[in-house]
Amino acid sequence: MLGQLFALLIFPAGLFVLVNGLVYHWISRKLVARLQNRVGPRWFQPVADIVKLLANEEIIPAGVNARLFAALPVVALAGALTAMLYLPIAGLPPLHNFPGDLIVTVYLLSLLTLCTGLAGAISKGRFSVIGATRVLTQLFSYEAPFLLALLGPAFVAGSWQIDEIMAHASGQWLMLTQPIGFIVALIGLMGKLEITPFDAPEAETEIVAGALTEYSGRGLALFLLGREVELVGGLTLIAAFYLGGLHNPLDYVVKTLLLLLGVAGIQTVMARLRIDQTVGLWWRYGALLALVQWLALLVSQGVFV
Amino acid sequence: MKIAMMLRDVLRSLFRKPVTELYPAQRQPTPVQLRGKLHWNPEKCTGCCLCIKDCPCDALELITIDKANKRFVMRYDVGRCTFCAQCVQNCRFNCLGMSSEDWELAATDKAPFTIYYGREEDVQSILDCFAETGDRAEE
Amino acid sequence: MPEERFSIPIGPQHPALKEPGHFVFTVDGEVVTGASVRLGYAHRGIEKATEGRNWVQNLYLLERICGICSHIHATAYCLGVEKLAGVTAPPRAQAIRVLVAELERIHSHLLWLGVAAHQAGFDTLFMYSWRDRETVMEMLERLTGNRVNYSANILGGVKFDVTEPAMDAIRHGLRFLEERTSHYVDVVREDRLFLQRTEGVGVMTRAQAERLGVTGPTARASGVPRDLRVDAPYAAYGDYTPRIVTETAGDLKARFIVRLNELSETYQLIRTLLDNLPEGELKTRMPRRIAAGETISRVEAPRGELFYFIKSEGGEQPARIKVRTPTLSNMDSVVRLAIGHQLADMPMLLAGIDPCFSCNDRLTTVQTGDETRLWTWEALRQYGIDYYREKV
Repeated sequence: MLGQLFALLIFPAGLFVLVNGLVYHWISRKLVARLQNRVGPRWFQPVADIVKLLANEEIIPAGVNARLFAALPVVALAGALTAMLYLPIAGLPPLHNFPGDLIVTVYLLSLLTLCTGLAGAISKGRFSVIGATRVLTQLFSYEAPFLLALLGPAFVAGSWQIDEIMAHASGQWLMLTQPIGFIVALIGLMGKLEITPFDAPEAETEIVAGALTEYSGRGLALFLLGREVELVGGLTLIAAFYLGGLHNPLDYVVKTLLLLLGVAGIQTVMARLRIDQTVGLWWRYGALLALVQWLALLVSQGVFV
Repeated sequence: MKIAMMLRDVLRSLFRKPVTELYPAQRQPTPVQLRGKLHWNPEKCTGCCLCIKDCPCDALELITIDKANKRFVMRYDVGRCTFCAQCVQNCRFNCLGMSSEDWELAATDKAPFTIYYGREEDVQSILDCFAETGDRAEE
Repeated sequence: MPEERFSIPIGPQHPALKEPGHFVFTVDGEVVTGASVRLGYAHRGIEKATEGRNWVQNLYLLERICGICSHIHATAYCLGVEKLAGVTAPPRAQAIRVLVAELERIHSHLLWLGVAAHQAGFDTLFMYSWRDRETVMEMLERLTGNRVNYSANILGGVKFDVTEPAMDAIRHGLRFLEERTSHYVDVVREDRLFLQRTEGVGVMTRAQAERLGVTGPTARASGVPRDLRVDAPYAAYGDYTPRIVTETAGDLKARFIVRLNELSETYQLIRTLLDNLPEGELKTRMPRRIAAGETISRVEAPRGELFYFIKSEGGEQPARIKVRTPTLSNMDSVVRLAIGHQLADMPMLLAGIDPCFSCNDRLTTVQTGDETRLWTWEALRQYGIDYYREKV
């Protein structure tokens, strides 16, 4: 019982994931800075940001449902942390698994996005409402191709359970046999995390902070922590499926950092897309590529032969 | 169709040091023309006050100790100065110059911002005068 | 069913704006259906302040109307006052004025490139162009003594000379900048993602540009071949004439290309100038009292046509100085062009005219109704006193 509680709250879920998220967030910022020929923040910057936000006064805008306003960040972070239970964090086998936990995990990772959209919709500011619209529009664009890309390895493994898929993917690097699926998954992750070029929902030069404009203090801190947990979760999922599975902590660190470098590189060389351009891109090229990948898989598995 | 056109710059930066100057650990040498803090040499001053007339910020003031012997004290308010060097232009006897080394002028209280230039004994007599009267405005 | 009219305020405080200004966009979803602008947040009373200072002190006051175009304000003022006094600055001084003005143009355009890229979400281009801007800032510091607010001018000439080592440093820096500028032209012309934000956005035809009265690179991007350095040469531009750079498309991409091509012209001009700098003195005598009269002074600031009206009544202080900055004439185009575009294009449209709100700070009275009112100084002062008294 104590062992389970420890595993749930400290390591490998819970506190470890939060710290991991903060470290990866820092690494991503440092990488982007070095790619832009500048120095970048020091290691404690993300920690300092969260600590400062937790200490700030939380202002609830007038006329807003206070309970919902305060509950949404908690639900978002809880969803993201719960998704971690089914993922092989730190290369150790997932804490829990059951058939179909891939879908549950993907849904829980989307819970954060839904909560962000709802949070923007209920705070009555103009920027929040536009931000919320953009968040949800973007969710509808990348979600389908992203899910299809994650289901590719599942189909080949013949199971919807994460550790079985990972076991099947362990020998071979599916990145090489399903390259299109890998690319769609990685870019889909960037859409989910609202990273340039898909950061229209929080375009600071247009709508201040988007859906989270009215949030401050603890609520904002929890949302930001949720985003960082999601970064770790997304990277773990893609590394587990496409980069040959995660079997030990060293494996985990190397593979997820490799993916992080790729994400940081793409982020640096691209400009922001408008929301209508994002939708157009995903529904034309994203969906097309995912379907092409699936067709290739179906043919190779002998479904049509 | 080309994308990622900044890629070459970005990849090159991975292998280069960042271009940020890590001030205050590193300081670039300043050019000789830099307009830093003003310095005044009392030896050549004739008291014509052209510098004061054209200062856009009232940063300079000439206090006369002994007009016949050309003994003056100049009060320079660093906080008001805009470092335009008009006073340096106006002075016909090269009494004024802007330092190129004295440019880090931040201080934690207002005292360093008022500077009295002049001969030692003149400046001392002015400061004693203020201490006596206790009110600078009366001087 | 009535459509949802949603009005989005951008400003006075907004991450899209570097300086305060109030834009109100009425949107329907993401499409803008109406726009209006309100300025005057950076009003500092500079025009009134000039009346209480003598001619020399005003030089430094007017230089600080704007940080990016400070030298050109000072140059316009000096040229106007020298005209009133019947004095011409010596040729070497005029050439040095042109040199600093062109270096300032480089600085301004590189700054603008970074800011516009940042508005588009392209932070990498922002960081790199500002890194390259440091080269020109160092050149200016070495030449004039300061990175902004160069204070190069005095009434009647310039303060400092250009030495051989300084010229070599400038030539060396220009080689680096030229290579970087041609790279940025390629990026702006061909990077697919950046083009998606700039091509076809904010199209202004030549007829519209002429009717709205826009000036500077914004007008030249719509094919209006107007450049004061060529049409009405001032200072030493009679001897060193740049080529007018125009584009015909009139959209944001054209504005980028015009400004970057102007940079190439500027590099050429500076090289020619350095090779042919006339010998001579740096200044000439100026009277302390300027003869009575009125004059105008028009110069080509990095943003467009800068216009000064200077009136003297024969004293040591000016009677009236009126400044009309280019951003004021370009601002209307933002409001007119906004309709039909997406909300996400608004910061880009605004960045396209290279706004400088602090230049813009002329007094605005908001008219309600049809009456026209003329404010006298006393009436304005009394209004201010009454307003604050009522508030307390």
